[in-house]
Amino acid sequence: MKLIENNNLVNSLCEITNAATSAALNAVMASLASRHGVRSAAYLGAGMSGASNREPYLAVTYSPNWVEHYKDRGYVKIDPVIQTGMRRLLPLDWDEFGKLEGALKTFFGEAAEFGLGRRGLTIPVHGRRGDRALFSVTSDLSEREWEQEKIEYMRDFQLLAVHLHDKVLELEGEPVLRAKLTPRELECLQWISDGKTAWECSVILGLSEHTVRCYLESCRYKLNASSNTHAVSIAYQTGLFSQIV
Amino acid sequence: MIMTIESIDRQKHPVLIDQMFRMRAEVFSSRLGWEVSVNDGRETDRFDDEDPLYLMSVNDETGVLQGAVRLLPTTGPYMLRDVFSVLVPGGAPESPLIWESSRFAINPRVFSVAERAEANHIVHKTTLELLCGIVEVCRSAGIDHVVSVFDARMARIFRAADCPYEVIGTPTRIGKTMTYAGVFEMTDTMRSRLGAVGDLPSTVLAGPSRQPEEGLAERHVA
Repeated sequence: MKLIENNNLVNSLCEITNAATSAALNAVMASLASRHGVRSAAYLGAGMSGASNREPYLAVTYSPNWVEHYKDRGYVKIDPVIQTGMRRLLPLDWDEFGKLEGALKTFFGEAAEFGLGRRGLTIPVHGRRGDRALFSVTSDLSEREWEQEKIEYMRDFQLLAVHLHDKVLELEGEPVLRAKLTPRELECLQWISDGKTAWECSVILGLSEHTVRCYLESCRYKLNASSNTHAVSIAYQTGLFSQIV
Repeated sequence: MIMTIESIDRQKHPVLIDQMFRMRAEVFSSRLGWEVSVNDGRETDRFDDEDPLYLMSVNDETGVLQGAVRLLPTTGPYMLRDVFSVLVPGGAPESPLIWESSRFAINPRVFSVAERAEANHIVHKTTLELLCGIVEVCRSAGIDHVVSVFDARMARIFRAADCPYEVIGTPTRIGKTMTYAGVFEMTDTMRSRLGAVGDLPSTVLAGPSRQPEEGLAERHVA
């Protein structure tokens, strides 16, 4: 675990939280892409309740020309990212498609002409009510650099994907009601607010350090916090700590 | 080796998928007497419709299914929160970085055909292979923690495999069995530890080229 908080991630999560309109979210996508050093970033959400007849929600940094071209050609029918990603759990590295032939070769060739990177990674999101989303980034890194960066940033991408999805649900008028903190989670967060480290919490509470980290991870998500510090401040603002006697 | 099978790829592995659902019926209904829904000799539940990821331990030589486990994200529907909430009265964990494993099973056919000593060895080895597979898959996906609901029998298996976990919530007797919710760390340390116990130092995951699409498994099904 890093000692210094991952500022890029924290900043991106804050921006997502603060986005109040879909236009603002589009701007967030652009700043997120440049901050995380990727060529493009794209969010596509589908299956939100009552939205079966609605177009999928799209927030992308792609050029409008590519989006238009993609729609004109009906590429959604052959786009392997969409065709496979929606029924996957593991992140999908576009290299898995192997050597491209025929229509797919044309498709990815055109995508590159419109400014997408040669390598891509897609994170599937599974929502509570059958809603699904895909968060994709592309890059022009060499294979070796890509393999390294991918592993290093996978956690960040997982977090960004779900936070983007929850934000879109909120913008679409179907906000996710995050669960309340459990007594154990609150207890860990309280010790963090007293300046203790996860290791110190583990000693105090008689838990493994890993379990404390798991509780804190769950705290951050449930409070929609970008970091432990942020989670503590939200807990103070919403009076969570005053419930503990 | 461990094959990872996504929902989208189920039709490429109809025989393995079918073997898994039949194995689950045999293990969870026939042997353990859990109240699970069995249709036509196959056990499935609503979480199988949520596009989970299956990890299957497949015999390298024969292609026979030796064991399987299912992974679900805690951001979507999952068992601890949606079925076993009694185990976590204060609420269940939830995060993009926490997944749940469920329906961990070793194929009884594997040990019914072998000598007792050999059978124990296969069970132990398959358990460790599946556990190593879970850690490797989670590491590759950026997942830090796995939660799971298990019974006293599984707790013994985890101990025998030297697989550390920490109980969360309140263990509760459900039906005849004491049932626990636990959290497992998905770290390189965990992987090395399990690898040392199971003599599995290198990756257990089948690469894309090693994932046979049918054929191999089918030939060995009676």
